[in-house]
Amino acid sequence: MTTKALAALITAIGVLAGGLPAAAQGPIRIGASLSLTGTYAKLGNYQNEGYKLCAKQANEHGGLLGRKIEFVVYDDQSAPSTAVRLYEKLITEDKVDAVIGPYSSPVTEASANVTEKYKKVMVTPLAATTSIFKRPPDKKRYYLFMVISPAEAYLEGLVDMAAKRGLKTIAIVNEDTLFAKAAGDGAAELANKRGMQVVFREGYPKGNQDFSAILTKIRAANPEVLAASTYFDDAIAITRQMKELNVNPKMYGITVGGDLPEFYDLLKQNAEYITGATQWETTLPYPGNREFSDAYKKEFGREPVYHSAAGYAGCVIYLEAVKRAGTLDSDKVRDVLLKLEMKTAFGDFKVDQDGFQTAHKMVTTQWQDGKKVIVWPDELANGKLRFPTPPWNQR
Amino acid sequence: MNVVVTPAMLGQVVISGILSGALYAMVALGLALIFGVMRIINVAHGPLLMLGAYATYFLSTAVSMAMLFVVGVLLERTLVFRVVDAPELSSLLLTFGVSIALVNLAQLLFTSDLRSVEYLTGAWVVGPFALSKSRVVAFVFAGALTGLAFLFLGRTKLGKAIRATSQSREVAMVCGIDVQRIHLVTFGLAAALAAAGGALIAVIVAIQPEMGQIWTFKSFLVIVLGGAGNYPGALLGGILLGLIEQVASLFLTTQLSEVVAYVLLVAILLVRPTGLLGGRQT
Repeated sequence: MTTKALAALITAIGVLAGGLPAAAQGPIRIGASLSLTGTYAKLGNYQNEGYKLCAKQANEHGGLLGRKIEFVVYDDQSAPSTAVRLYEKLITEDKVDAVIGPYSSPVTEASANVTEKYKKVMVTPLAATTSIFKRPPDKKRYYLFMVISPAEAYLEGLVDMAAKRGLKTIAIVNEDTLFAKAAGDGAAELANKRGMQVVFREGYPKGNQDFSAILTKIRAANPEVLAASTYFDDAIAITRQMKELNVNPKMYGITVGGDLPEFYDLLKQNAEYITGATQWETTLPYPGNREFSDAYKKEFGREPVYHSAAGYAGCVIYLEAVKRAGTLDSDKVRDVLLKLEMKTAFGDFKVDQDGFQTAHKMVTTQWQDGKKVIVWPDELANGKLRFPTPPWNQR
Repeated sequence: MNVVVTPAMLGQVVISGILSGALYAMVALGLALIFGVMRIINVAHGPLLMLGAYATYFLSTAVSMAMLFVVGVLLERTLVFRVVDAPELSSLLLTFGVSIALVNLAQLLFTSDLRSVEYLTGAWVVGPFALSKSRVVAFVFAGALTGLAFLFLGRTKLGKAIRATSQSREVAMVCGIDVQRIHLVTFGLAAALAAAGGALIAVIVAIQPEMGQIWTFKSFLVIVLGGAGNYPGALLGGILLGLIEQVASLFLTTQLSEVVAYVLLVAILLVRPTGLLGGRQT
């Protein structure tokens, strides 16, 4: 938090409290259920560290509304049903002052029913599924706010760069699960909008390792662009088998996995030219990003990943909204959040009337000589796209 | 959006199918051996394959096969021999337990991070077809090892003893065959075949602790298709499964290709429960 923000905070407290001795009140307790063990353990812990750093820094700068901030975190073991129980407990038994989101879309989807029931504002930094926020009018969620970009935006960079280079045909494959399918749908829609023809579209089951037949079909369809909405194992398998079957699109991009250092470690020079998509990078020129990364490394002894940064930003955004509202009252904080436009270390924040994120930008990266270079969008890029991708035997 | 299937595409997937089919056959042969000789359904076959892949990653294929032979022998001597004559459920439960233990042990020792052997990537392009270098090499090795296994079973004294035990344990015993020892060798041999599979698969897909389970299922499918306990049947079943998977993925989708394989399995069980080549006549 900057000194200016601190001054604003103190003013806000002065106005609100009207001389009430701040120390007399207990801390503001913010409750969260996080996946500290189970399938999402690694990522849930990163998010938790983001929360911790945010709370620590806020407390060093005088806390919130003149009170200290304290996080009450329980472990939901990556199970949505456990998280439901924990949010119920946080709100009714622990009587926390506020809540903040859990890790992942499925856990958020389940927990949001509880927080809505008690009319608690919940900024949920790591839920990327559109359907959690975009719901029919009678099932609308009023108090839920999204931070990261939706799944549909993951392949936007690839499609945009391809369209700008005059490419006309695209093949899209995706793992047949909620998130990956949404990313594939998003790519198809964007491609159509940009006048590109989707010449091939197919899903494959989770855990699939043999892509020979799919790639044979793709080779026959001969697209200029191949977009794969993947996790990690499948991205590795598809890439290796593309080389085995000599499939040579001019551009080839994947979603999750392509930005991880392990991707290059495993594929070595075969990862060259491949684009990946990510919500955030340490190198992005967002205000406070460098400071965040430094503080994070100092605090936890490792590089932050996007889950850490999103958790941190979600907490910062919520605190800022409370500060501007001057109260913890859900409806007033909600009004502020709906209008809030903010830049954090994680990028831009702005939501529409459904709490759906509209300002945060995904970035597209490309492996160039073993380095991950940000090639899209132009205003955030630190290098140029290498194009076109040469055939496998000329790399 | 639909791609019209051309003869060249069909040729390509038939090649892919045969290449992976040979691997299926070799891995399934191990499972068929254990079932044929000991009447045990070894659910831990896939995880043994996974161990073989790791051993190859850190050491070499030959060492991996030798090591897994020893692991197989130890498993048989300490645990599996106890369930040889027990109801089939006991052997299922036991090997299922071993399977879970192996996977978790691997997670502990090697972590869940993917590892890969970037060896022979790329393809030989022949006319309209692309032949994956690593898969062709895996095919050749799988073929050679399977051939050796058949030679061993057909020509050597020990191999004949294994087949005799498989046909009738009692008669084999009466003929003076040390059945305990045959069980030991069979289990070791099967584990070594799984290890060879793991070694060859390691150059095709990434190695991770949970890579094995799918191979247990595929091997089952293969030996049921070919005829449980029938060793040439495993060969036929393997190639057949490879072809079915690939051709079905080409004409339908990848999701449906698994359905096709399992529907076929049910159909064969209904029409010809002993498998295509019938069971146990070796």
